[in-house]
Amino acid sequence: MNLAVNGTAHELESGPLTSLLDVLREELGITSPKAGCEQGGCGACTVLVDGEPRRSCLLPVGAVGEAEITTVEGLGTPENLAAVQQAFTHHYAAQCGFCTSGLMMAAHAYVAHGGTADQDAIAEALGGHVCRCTGYVKIIAAVAAVARGDSFDLATTAASPGMTNIGGVR
Amino acid sequence: MKAVGARLPRYDGVEHVTGRTTFVDDVRVPGTLWVKALRSPVHRADITGLDTSAAESMPGVHAIVSWKDVPLLEYGHLAALGIPADEPLLAKDDVRYKGQPIAVVAAEDEATAQAAVEAIKLDLNEQPALLDVRKAFDSDAPVIHQWGNWYNHFEAEMDRRQIRKGDIDWAFEHADTIVQGVYRPAAIEHVPLETQVCQVVPEANGRLTIYSCTQALYFSMGVVAAHLQLPLNRLKFVGGTVGGGFGGKVDTATETMCSLLALKSGRPVKWRWTREEEFLCSSTRAPWHMEIADAVTKDGWILGRKMLTLHDSGAYARFSPYGLTKHSFHHTGAYTIPNLAFDGYAVFTNRVPTTAMRGFGVTSISFATETHMSRVADVLGLDPYEVRLKNANRIGDTSPNRVVYTDPSTVPTIQAIAEAMGHELPADYRTMTRHTREGELLPEHLVAQVGNPEDH
Amino acid sequence: MASAPEMVFPTSPADAAAAFGDGSGVTVVAGGTIVMPEISYGRLEPAKAIMLTQAGLAGVTRDGTTVTVGAATPIAELVDLPAPLGPCAANIADREIRGQATLGGNVCAGAGHDAPRGDLQGALLAVGATARSAGAGGERSEPLDDFLANRGGRLLLDVSFEEPAAGGFAALDRPHTHDYTAMAVSAARAADGTVRVAATGAGTHGQRLLSAEVKADDLAAAGDAALADVTPHDDALASAWYRSKTLPVLVRRALTQLKETS
Repeated sequence: MNLAVNGTAHELESGPLTSLLDVLREELGITSPKAGCEQGGCGACTVLVDGEPRRSCLLPVGAVGEAEITTVEGLGTPENLAAVQQAFTHHYAAQCGFCTSGLMMAAHAYVAHGGTADQDAIAEALGGHVCRCTGYVKIIAAVAAVARGDSFDLATTAASPGMTNIGGVR
Repeated sequence: MKAVGARLPRYDGVEHVTGRTTFVDDVRVPGTLWVKALRSPVHRADITGLDTSAAESMPGVHAIVSWKDVPLLEYGHLAALGIPADEPLLAKDDVRYKGQPIAVVAAEDEATAQAAVEAIKLDLNEQPALLDVRKAFDSDAPVIHQWGNWYNHFEAEMDRRQIRKGDIDWAFEHADTIVQGVYRPAAIEHVPLETQVCQVVPEANGRLTIYSCTQALYFSMGVVAAHLQLPLNRLKFVGGTVGGGFGGKVDTATETMCSLLALKSGRPVKWRWTREEEFLCSSTRAPWHMEIADAVTKDGWILGRKMLTLHDSGAYARFSPYGLTKHSFHHTGAYTIPNLAFDGYAVFTNRVPTTAMRGFGVTSISFATETHMSRVADVLGLDPYEVRLKNANRIGDTSPNRVVYTDPSTVPTIQAIAEAMGHELPADYRTMTRHTREGELLPEHLVAQVGNPEDH
Repeated sequence: MASAPEMVFPTSPADAAAAFGDGSGVTVVAGGTIVMPEISYGRLEPAKAIMLTQAGLAGVTRDGTTVTVGAATPIAELVDLPAPLGPCAANIADREIRGQATLGGNVCAGAGHDAPRGDLQGALLAVGATARSAGAGGERSEPLDDFLANRGGRLLLDVSFEEPAAGGFAALDRPHTHDYTAMAVSAARAADGTVRVAATGAGTHGQRLLSAEVKADDLAAAGDAALADVTPHDDALASAWYRSKTLPVLVRRALTQLKETS
């Protein structure tokens, strides 16, 4: 069985009912998609299948066929970060980083398919993803920034959205 | 100090967004064995038989570890805080919560490890379980812990955290009304995106390299060294990259069990919990049972508080006495109550032992106190902001355990909330400050509790 | 460790039916969203797996007013259909899972461990769908109610229904997209004026609410009457008591949507 990942063809030893997640992580050593639940409930394993975001833990590799798989490793490098990677860095949208891979793939696909900066639309598109650290506000701000086509100063981080300074102590 | 006030990017931000952050499960060591655990299927039982021979002889199984393999089976993680050991690393005579680990297996792959677990013969004699903290004190309650049904090793062998301040009887005699409430927040599971995971590599020089998701690297090092009776310099902990912990990754048990498996098999081992194990077997924030009775005057002063807390410690003590202690110090919340009678118990139940989670011990009391303040206002027919501002901590007020407040921010915080909520406060409440009480804000009953901020 | 499963990749509906036979010893993998977690958790070790991705069983086709949906159609392709099917589909899981999960997998899902499954059963019952399936004795078409009652050993090929004149869908809120829906009600008015009402999460699988149907013109009466048709249960999402309190509300909401559609 062959599998095309990030532009490279691989010949697999894993059986066809092995999850794409296990194939990527265990056989191919591509570890950006994470095993958060192995039930499709958290989104940490999301990768792109022909540009569409899918839970790799739910996909038997035998069903992938000729489709092109894209993971975070195929999005960009530290020297050449994709827009969504820059946005997540500048907008402080990752804390522990465990949900980040899956979220970025979903966000990348959302914008690539014409997604707007509308917060409700972003929340609906990314609604399958769980983040326990950030409270989602900065993630949505980052995705909106990508949708707007912002450019990003990676030497600093954006001001927190929607927060006003609490008055000084009397 | 160029960093203070600057918005600096995370030092690990680029790693996170390029997928290069190495979490424990991303570590790749050739020859690593998979670990699975045999866990108790019931809440409480005596173990009458444990036979691992069939599992041990299965092809692909490299090591099985049970209580016999643990050099020091019970070690108190917070012995330094005076909490004695009570919990075996792996169950020996009995099991006290559903999911309690009894044996761990290291095998060539996940399926073999799981099959080996299922081949272990476990004989149990199920016993009645105690699942409700309120029933722990009944004379006919099953006794489920060697110390009795609640922790009794506080200082001077007290069986509860007790705080007495002022004259509670005076307060209740002089109250216009007593306002009561019972508050029972449920257990909360941390749900870190990264489940509990550990990789241990036995090195040629006799050391163990332990890749851990612990939140507390040096703490865990001490725990492993103690259980294994090894000097610290035999252990090399690699960690600090945690996929969410929130307090749930300080219980340090997978590192110890994986170390034993690595030593016994001579191979690297890795144990990654499934999400189901994480939900069913990992420790949670404790459920609490809190009863509050406040002696109040009709113009909104809280003269005194009686409180009973039952903290559900689960099957073993772990950190619960410590959490309960913090809880007791804060049992008046952000408000000054001069006459107090608090009793708090860390109660054992046949549930997963509870642990720390953000604001350990104190979120429960925040919830209870704030709800209760609103209840007081409601019963008295007063504005809830005003009741809070009147009783708010001020400089010089003392906490339940007599710490003098030097910098409380209750007053400005409540005023800021009122403004943000568009709630108009009367002039005298709008101009209140956090400074030392005087005049109408220092009635007779608050005089004795005022302390000197210099003394704190 | 189990030996590797026999894998079959049929390339036509006839091939799929032939590979399925009478269904014994066969695991059908359509989208895989239900089957894969069972395999990952070691609860299912298929001996023979039929992968339906290339079997020509996907797609929504129209012939006049008759709509046919192939069993391997991704749920994402149903979200823009009129109510009740569209909103019912849009309320399942999240965008990523809807892109992979199929109508067939959803309709044929057995009762879940601790939560109801098969939301589409309700919407399809409300539009009076016919199920076409293969299995022992060959192909047959039957009302979906009958298929759901006797679906052991059947491979669903497609469902077909007449486009409704009006539809309604009401469900208990899900806290998060990874939650299943505790209970939902679908209603539809056919071109000839017949009203059908069905619920999921009020029993072991989707069912018609016949007592509500005969009172469809009186919303309050219909809501209360629906309770006679169900035996609600306790599960991880809701208690039987809660279901009995909220079923009449959902019935009224679904029927109200019918009334509001001209």
